[in-house]
Amino acid sequence: MEYANPNIQGQQIEEGLKSRGKYLTAFVCLLFAILLLRLMNMQIFKGTYYEEQARNNRLRIISIPAQRGKILDRNKEVLADSRPAYNVMVIPEDIRDVGNISKKLALILERDPGEIVEKIGQAKQKPFSPVYIARDIPFTQMANIESQLFTMPGISIDTTNERDYLNRGVAPHAIGFLGEISRKELEKAGEDSGYSPGDLVGKSGIEYVCEEKLRGVKGKRAYEVDALGRKMRIVEEEAPFSGEDVTLTINKSLQLIARQSLGERPGAVVAIVPETGEILAMASAPVFDPTMFLSPMSSESWRAVIGDPMHPLENRAIRGLYAPGSTFKVLISALALTEGFVTTKTKYYCTGKYTMGNTSFRCWRKEGHGGVDLMTALTVSCDVYFYNLGERLGIERMSGFCKEVGLGRPTGIELKDESGGLVPSVAWKRRRFKQPWHRGESVITAIGQGYTLVTPVQMAKVMAAVVNGGKVMTPRLLASTPQRLEMNLNIPKEELDTIKEGLRAVVDSEMGTARVIKDQMFSIGGKTGTAEVAKGYTSKLPDESDIPFKFRDHAWFFGFSPVENPEILVVAVLEHGGHGASIAAPIVRDVIKGYYYSKGLSDEQVRQDSQ
Amino acid sequence: MSRYDKIANNIDWGLLSTTLALIAVGLLCLYSAVRLTEVSIFFKQLLWISAAFVVMIVAFLVDYRAHMRLAWPMYVLMVLGVALVLFVGREISGARRWISLGFVSIQPSEFAKIIIIIWMAYWSEKKIQIESYGMKDLILPAIFILLPVGLILLEPDLGTAGIVAMIAVIMLLLLGVRRSTVISLGALFLSALPFAWLTLKDYQRNRILTFLDPSRDPLGTGYHATQSKIAVGSGGLWGKGYLQGTQTQLSFLPEHHTDFIFSVVAEEWGFAGTAILILLYIILVTKIIQVGYRAKDRFGSMICFGIAGYFTLHIFINISMTLGIFPVVGVPLPFISYGGSFMFMNLLCIGLVLNVAWRRFMF
Repeated sequence: MEYANPNIQGQQIEEGLKSRGKYLTAFVCLLFAILLLRLMNMQIFKGTYYEEQARNNRLRIISIPAQRGKILDRNKEVLADSRPAYNVMVIPEDIRDVGNISKKLALILERDPGEIVEKIGQAKQKPFSPVYIARDIPFTQMANIESQLFTMPGISIDTTNERDYLNRGVAPHAIGFLGEISRKELEKAGEDSGYSPGDLVGKSGIEYVCEEKLRGVKGKRAYEVDALGRKMRIVEEEAPFSGEDVTLTINKSLQLIARQSLGERPGAVVAIVPETGEILAMASAPVFDPTMFLSPMSSESWRAVIGDPMHPLENRAIRGLYAPGSTFKVLISALALTEGFVTTKTKYYCTGKYTMGNTSFRCWRKEGHGGVDLMTALTVSCDVYFYNLGERLGIERMSGFCKEVGLGRPTGIELKDESGGLVPSVAWKRRRFKQPWHRGESVITAIGQGYTLVTPVQMAKVMAAVVNGGKVMTPRLLASTPQRLEMNLNIPKEELDTIKEGLRAVVDSEMGTARVIKDQMFSIGGKTGTAEVAKGYTSKLPDESDIPFKFRDHAWFFGFSPVENPEILVVAVLEHGGHGASIAAPIVRDVIKGYYYSKGLSDEQVRQDSQ
Repeated sequence: MSRYDKIANNIDWGLLSTTLALIAVGLLCLYSAVRLTEVSIFFKQLLWISAAFVVMIVAFLVDYRAHMRLAWPMYVLMVLGVALVLFVGREISGARRWISLGFVSIQPSEFAKIIIIIWMAYWSEKKIQIESYGMKDLILPAIFILLPVGLILLEPDLGTAGIVAMIAVIMLLLLGVRRSTVISLGALFLSALPFAWLTLKDYQRNRILTFLDPSRDPLGTGYHATQSKIAVGSGGLWGKGYLQGTQTQLSFLPEHHTDFIFSVVAEEWGFAGTAILILLYIILVTKIIQVGYRAKDRFGSMICFGIAGYFTLHIFINISMTLGIFPVVGVPLPFISYGGSFMFMNLLCIGLVLNVAWRRFMF
């Protein structure tokens, strides 16, 4: 055998090897020291950080949706309902026999088995995330599937909340709609809000305003999953709290009538209790289907809604701006009487036109009304009478009064994005047009033309204030909102009666501009109004129907009943409706009639009450 | 004193018990790692260990100096093996590393590591000289080292090729190489790196890029590294308790019975456990180096130093990969990771070192 030769040279080499061997030991120690330092850093100093990561890894927290509160009318009748919806879910990885399960499901759900096979196939692309096969199935189908679940591994039933609106929305504008929370809203709500992507939140109307009350508190379920996302066990569970119901001042049957009599004609109806400011009905047309925003929309259908020239999403009752037309004469009457510019006896002579300097303003009746006092002026809607008042009162006094009763600013109703309207004044015109105010403009302001713009709900608020004796009440939609008196104009009894008699005669008398809606059953006082859209058009053409739709005047009517002690006041406006009496007044009458029916009074009682 | 007493007295019991302790720790961890998924792996490992002990005893009993004669034949066999695997190897995820022998698969590149150690030790014994080695002296060993390294690279098995090369470099440096030679070879190596990058396979490049920036691909190649770091860090000081590691038990850690088994130790036993494990490894390696110091010939010393380097490189690369400070390469952890070939190699090495330690008293 040939062994290593332990000679003298070899000894020297062994020494060299030994000294270099120390480097090896040092090198080994260095490497292990690196490992130990790194371990210390990760396990001791950063241990909590990684622990959190491990926790996030294995725990899936799903939220259990809370049932949204209902929206009820003043008699606790349901306007917007919340109900559980059953959805069929599939975890494709857990399915063994796709064909058999699809056949079973297809039989229960009354669908084509091929369609279900296809859905499961699609679901396979995203392993272990549940996919819906069918949403919102009827209770009987749900029960049927539930009883056979054990024969269908991978299939499960999950419950979500659905919003149902009475008649697919009796008051979609006032009640609003729900939609998926946007990124912006999510950011604004913040981390602690409990909102997460995909949640439905109120986007408009009461649904938006009362979001906090309605939404409730979500529950939570934390379960442990493995690396493939399979549920291992439930670690923690917290039950959800349902949202609170919200009661409105709306009366469902009145709302239905308002909605129906308005139909699809663009316009708005507002019914209010003059003494309290409670809104009994609020309708806007055209309408939209509030349920269409519940599930994600295609951008096409979204554009179709947004781009609709009739703007169906717009709540015209609080955002539609219209010149008040002759309805404004009621306000001017109240102002002139309380300020002592006229008495109930004061008469002006109407020749059919009113001349100021070298300009003349025409009365709607070319032949003139002759000598008219205030009551008659309201009844026949004499323009000349009010031209006189307009010149005498002056713009500053008129605009001051308008602002006092609540025009030119939002009424304070609980809805968002309410328009404030416009009350012109000298200062306003200077600011807006850099021009001085003309006296002629005061004259036409007095008959509700010119710059003044009001919303239907403002009209309801200020007219309610006139007929209730001067109490300006904030309109309100929520039963929980306390009644609020903004101010009291203290219109003296005698003068109030004169105005109301004039307004009663609008309907009752042979000369009245709204005699078409005269009803034997109950008394109505009211006033027509025609808001000019394009000046001069009306007089040139013989027939209203020859005027292009968009240039036709807006038709106003407000009416209240009973005249002596009004319980309800209704405002209707129809865009491009032409003359107020023929088209807007019947809507008001229908709503008032509905009011009496809903009170449960027979025709006989109604007549007696109003006499 | 009988012959057997003498054998018993001169066995390095410290090294042997450290080895046994490491194997015990390994079995505990392996059980925790596979009990919920494939518990049969644990029993297979028990079988491998028993067989590997036989290998260790044989390696201990046969006088290591006999291997000097076998150095060349073993070398040739090894080169043939790693060449053969390129043609008949079983392909697993794009790499041919295994030869199937019917009932069992073996990994020839695993054996290349120890054969290179023996061949290098043999070469150093033959080439004893007073002055340090110069460039000319190194040409021959360089060729014989680079041949198997190149073949292993073709499989491709970057981790094993790197380890074989590094073991050889460490052994050469220990034998003494001229400073000027070290510097010029180092420069040559660095300038070759860009070319090496070009020859890497896409998945290998990905692993390196992902190592430099794990967020590049958190669910793909970065997934292993990320999940392993979470497992290690979340173990904290005292660990989550045996069989309680959520990362391990819920299978967030891939490969947790082979290359990533260290994170099982770290998660369930915390820093306390990992520090003890590393301490065991320090004892193991320093004991092997000590045996190298005391060996009666250069051949024996170089075998021990080579084996010390072999263990150190495996331990360091495996753990630092688990800790996210090294790219993910398939390097197992000695005595702990599951695998038959590797366990054979580990215990074979221990047998050789015990052999060298024992025979220094026998002439």
